[in-house]
Amino acid sequence: MSHALVVDRALVVIALRRRLAYRTQWLFALALGGGAMLISMTMWQNLIGNGTLSGYDWDSMRAYVIIGFIAATMVFGGADWHIADRILDGHIAVDLTKPVDFQRARAAEYIGSMLSTMPTVLAGVIGAWLLFDPPGPATPLAGVLTALSFALMFPLAFGITYLSILVCFWTKRYLGIMWLREALLGFFSGLMIPLAFMPGWLQTLSWALPFAHFTATPSAIYLGRVDTEGAFGLIAAEAAWAVGLWFGARLIFRRAVRKVTVHGG
Amino acid sequence: MPILEARSLTKNFRRPDKASGFKGAVKHLAQRKYKNYTAVDGIDLKIEAGESVAYVGPNGAGKSTTVKLLTGILKPSEGTVRVMGRDPHVERIANAYDIGVLFGQRTQLWWDLPVEESLKLLKHMYGVSDADYKARIERFDELLDLGEFMPALARTLSLGQRMRADLACALIHDPKMVYLDEPTIGLDISVKDRLRAFLRELVNDGTTLLLTSHDLADIEEVCERIVVIDKGVIAYDGPIVELKAHYITTKAVHLVLEGPADVPALSEKFPEYAWAAGEAASEVVVTYESARFTTAEVLADVTGHLQPRDLSLSEPSIEDVIRRLYAGELTK
Repeated sequence: MSHALVVDRALVVIALRRRLAYRTQWLFALALGGGAMLISMTMWQNLIGNGTLSGYDWDSMRAYVIIGFIAATMVFGGADWHIADRILDGHIAVDLTKPVDFQRARAAEYIGSMLSTMPTVLAGVIGAWLLFDPPGPATPLAGVLTALSFALMFPLAFGITYLSILVCFWTKRYLGIMWLREALLGFFSGLMIPLAFMPGWLQTLSWALPFAHFTATPSAIYLGRVDTEGAFGLIAAEAAWAVGLWFGARLIFRRAVRKVTVHGG
Repeated sequence: MPILEARSLTKNFRRPDKASGFKGAVKHLAQRKYKNYTAVDGIDLKIEAGESVAYVGPNGAGKSTTVKLLTGILKPSEGTVRVMGRDPHVERIANAYDIGVLFGQRTQLWWDLPVEESLKLLKHMYGVSDADYKARIERFDELLDLGEFMPALARTLSLGQRMRADLACALIHDPKMVYLDEPTIGLDISVKDRLRAFLRELVNDGTTLLLTSHDLADIEEVCERIVVIDKGVIAYDGPIVELKAHYITTKAVHLVLEGPADVPALSEKFPEYAWAAGEAASEVVVTYESARFTTAEVLADVTGHLQPRDLSLSEPSIEDVIRRLYAGELTK
């Protein structure tokens, strides 16, 4: 294993261990995420009943809500504050004296923190499966591509989060940026309501943004709402966003690092 | 070639210029105004390999900003820095392998993990071999007593333990150039002594050291050269011995007499010395130029006339000299 990969692995493990140190955080995440999923299920069951809404019947909506739960737990469980705090309180000074690429190191830490959500995801999905018995993937290939879409959420979530955190170099505040990012992600991903419920132009806009890949993409693939070619296209778009945001963030960091001001020792 | 060279190093910052209170905040929201200020103003600095340099100055003088410029954290507004021939801001990662940095006010330990885990992660980052890591940890343990808190979570450490652990983190890769920014801040005297002994050993082993501190005992015990900075400008740069020889030109004898001291009469009797009243009525301080008189001569004169109950000798400390440098009373 190359030296850089050894460092990546060490940072992933350390971020994971930092999260594992706080057991109550898991329980809260499970209670919050599970609670939101139960409320969502109840609401959609009442709305859909035995019919369909914008192409969703109760069967497909059950799977949709579970996919949304997985995506939300993963993406909202990342340690964004940890990175933002280091920029805002000046600890970035310490990071910049280490022989590692700043972005890559933060990516490893962020992915480690996302991995720490896996027990919550697993417990939530098992519980939901037992309670709601959702349908399986449309085809075995759709199942594999859904898993791939979830895997791509790791770099994509990092890209979006990291880019938004870099704004702190200019704003010197993070809370508002975080709220904005989470609101955009919640709305345009289809987490709040499936994109199919939106007017055509808003659907087009949503699909043109990276946020759609957090629920709309895996659910469309899983439920067979896109054919195989379409599924591959969505996966390619998700991967392209992850790569594009990675390199875009590099460009922005180059400018942002000139803005570093660490006062007071 | 010097290990570190800074030429005309300058750093300007921009600060919001807003009036106090709610009105000021609202006004600033509508019409943003900023003021530029210069934290480091055209500094020239050369450090040769193996030197131990104290970088001192009052609060806000530009010490920490200079360290951040020299380590590549900040980009200079003007001027250049070369550390082992590299621009530390442009070649940040390559430079990081050769330098060790400790910021007394910012830990590099991972807060929620045992100290040992932080050190192991740094071992991976710097690519330190297992054998070197083991040998260095043993040495740090011997000199800094690391073993007692290696398994402890960083957030549970006392300040002294945290600083010792941070020092180990800064040195785990055996850097050629070490920057220590206030390494003894907030520590008790026994931990300070231990850290200073460790730093002396580090310097004796040939490590180049740049140390900033407000504790002048750190400086006298560890460094040979002193650079004094004030308002972003170097006020003095030279060997500590020379600074003392040049500026510490007087000595004093503190006398405790049987009765009240008559300072005007003493001044008249011994006009070649400076006389001043002490803290108590029976105390008097006689100050003399060490180049003109030996202490023995002064004592012979004074004790022949006064028969003091007690006496003690003192000379101005480096602290006095630096205080006067800060106050602008002394020049380079």
